[in-house]
Amino acid sequence: MTVGLRRSAWALALAAWLLTLGGCGGGREGGPVTLVFKYARILGNADPLPGLLREFERAHPGVRVKGEALPWTSDDQHQFYVINLEGRSPGFDVMMLDCIWVPEFARAGWLTDLTGRLQPDELAPFFPSAVASATYDGRVWALPWNFNVGLLYYRADLLARYGLRPPETYEELVEQVRRIRAGERDPKLDGYVWQGKQYEGLVVNVLEAFWANGARLLADDGTVFPEPARAADALKFLRGLIETGVSPAWTTAADEELSRRAFGDGHAIFLRNWPYAMDLFESSGSAVRGKVAFAPLPGRARGEPGAGSTGGAHLGVSSRSLHPDLALALARHLTSERAQRAIALGAALSPTRQTLYRDPEVVRERPAMPRLLALALAGRPRPVTPYYLLLSATVQPEFSAALVGVKPPERAIADAGARLAYFLRAVR
Amino acid sequence: MTGREAAARRRALVCVAPTVVALGALTVYPGVWVLWLSLQRRIPIFDISRFAGFENYAFLAVDPRFWSAARTTAVFTLGSVALEVVLGVAAALAIRAQERGRRVALSLLLLAWAMPAVVGAKLFEWLYHPAAGLINVALGRHAVNWLGDPSVALPAVILADVWRTMPFVAILCYARLLAIPADVYEAAQVDGAGRIATLTRITLPLLGRILLLAVLFRTLDALRAFDIMFVLTGGGPAGTTETLTVYAYRALFQTLQLGFGSAVSVVVFALVMAVAWAYLRLLRVGTVAA
Repeated sequence: MTVGLRRSAWALALAAWLLTLGGCGGGREGGPVTLVFKYARILGNADPLPGLLREFERAHPGVRVKGEALPWTSDDQHQFYVINLEGRSPGFDVMMLDCIWVPEFARAGWLTDLTGRLQPDELAPFFPSAVASATYDGRVWALPWNFNVGLLYYRADLLARYGLRPPETYEELVEQVRRIRAGERDPKLDGYVWQGKQYEGLVVNVLEAFWANGARLLADDGTVFPEPARAADALKFLRGLIETGVSPAWTTAADEELSRRAFGDGHAIFLRNWPYAMDLFESSGSAVRGKVAFAPLPGRARGEPGAGSTGGAHLGVSSRSLHPDLALALARHLTSERAQRAIALGAALSPTRQTLYRDPEVVRERPAMPRLLALALAGRPRPVTPYYLLLSATVQPEFSAALVGVKPPERAIADAGARLAYFLRAVR
Repeated sequence: MTGREAAARRRALVCVAPTVVALGALTVYPGVWVLWLSLQRRIPIFDISRFAGFENYAFLAVDPRFWSAARTTAVFTLGSVALEVVLGVAAALAIRAQERGRRVALSLLLLAWAMPAVVGAKLFEWLYHPAAGLINVALGRHAVNWLGDPSVALPAVILADVWRTMPFVAILCYARLLAIPADVYEAAQVDGAGRIATLTRITLPLLGRILLLAVLFRTLDALRAFDIMFVLTGGGPAGTTETLTVYAYRALFQTLQLGFGSAVSVVVFALVMAVAWAYLRLLRVGTVAA
């Protein structure tokens, strides 16, 4: 282990120990109950979370809710949970979870099975794709809290200047980039920017290219790359975008923020990103204010219509919580329509409840919401499997190798498939 | 052995015992535990735990990602240590030759060294930014895809590491330079040695021991480097900046394969031990010769 790892492991151990101490106070019979809520701080105009927690305390006298911040990056958050939960720390009751962790945590026995505790129709108002990613083995393990879906942002002003409508296929997109760049003659204007750095975001982008091309990463029966030729073709197409200059060379180092800034500075025609970017493009001082619109991600000319990958956060109840009923009540409160409205108004996070996308108050603050609804409904989750992180960590360098051109796409798919087969044989 | 000698021996044993116990608990026990883990197939969250013998090592032997990480670790270590030594010695000589502002120069050097690795990495993330980064703005039309080009990313990471750790070498060397008596140089001057001869025949040989020590520390650190590439590239593009420790991290903490990840860690440990042993031998030989 490195010094850095060891140091962070110690820090986590210490934090876990302190948490345990904190948690013990609430466990006494008759005394005041303390619920610990772990979450990542919300960015936005005003963090609505403290207010919502105080509201819950007022409705439940004798209950204190302690909101505790998680580390900043998703990797660190995952590591924090794994070390604490594997170490049987009862230090928290309600946990904010990246939706891709739910099956893993459920399989490990770290989450309370909520299926029997929920009302029959309780999940109906949520997006089906969000519910799907909170469900594993036919049981529900978390409540969907905020929602993400991949979108195609475009410069409406530029498309209008050339009489173009947003592209329905990637082939059209490439053609539009050629036409607009030929007409604009601006060497600083890039075509289509997206996320090609070797990280989780790359997997999301490649999955969207797969789906448009009729390929999958994981079949329902557990087969990896059930359509290898189509998958390789999708990778080849992405590589082609970079080779032909439709996407800039730095796409291979781009994450959400890098690509969002390039587009936000007015240096790109198309951008693939999440809904949060819209608020930033419309904020005062933005170089592209009033010039941006979004559309569904394109499909392929001879493939399927495009679908955005869904993401977001769920709220789960720790299986070691001493107060599972209260913890579920808190998760319900935070995912309620009222709470999600407050979060949608105060932060750049999108709700998981469909009705809020037509809610007058929300629409007044964020006019793009009704248009987002159809795209969110059409979104597809990443493979819902306890092995998702293994899947993702294994394919990342292979996808990246195909994108930067050091490996033919067919080889990258074959190599990733072989590695996955080896690891999955061991865990199944 | 007389009674008094035996008593002294016993007392010595008692005195040394706490250290031995502490060392045993803090290093030997976890070390043996990791070794034991590496012989297992263990993925606790899926309730998988069975003895696997050398299966993990057999897989590593034919695992291209492991060999790529090993190669990256070697290139990173050689590249960054070599550059650090050259630049560190040059910086030390430059400061020594300076009449004024030595203290300012030293403080500036220390600033880089004192900066946490993650902060240094973030700084370079901005410097390497494809459009807004200082470096690419300066390069203008010849902008480089620093962190996204598989042939440039590793050198870019090495450069960021050298910036942060070169001061360590520089300050050690500077301290040694101050300890070289002035009359040695005066004698050289009397004998008619030029500047180059003074440097290669007197200064550098006298720096030898301390340099070897600096190189030892830096090599061991570089072999275990993690933060800088983790922040800058996450191991990409195409895995070209993934070192053995990053690979071990992915196996241990991301995909939770404790057995397999431990096997990678054991290899890193063996590598570090081998290098440390080789250097220590060199140091000892140096002592005997001197």
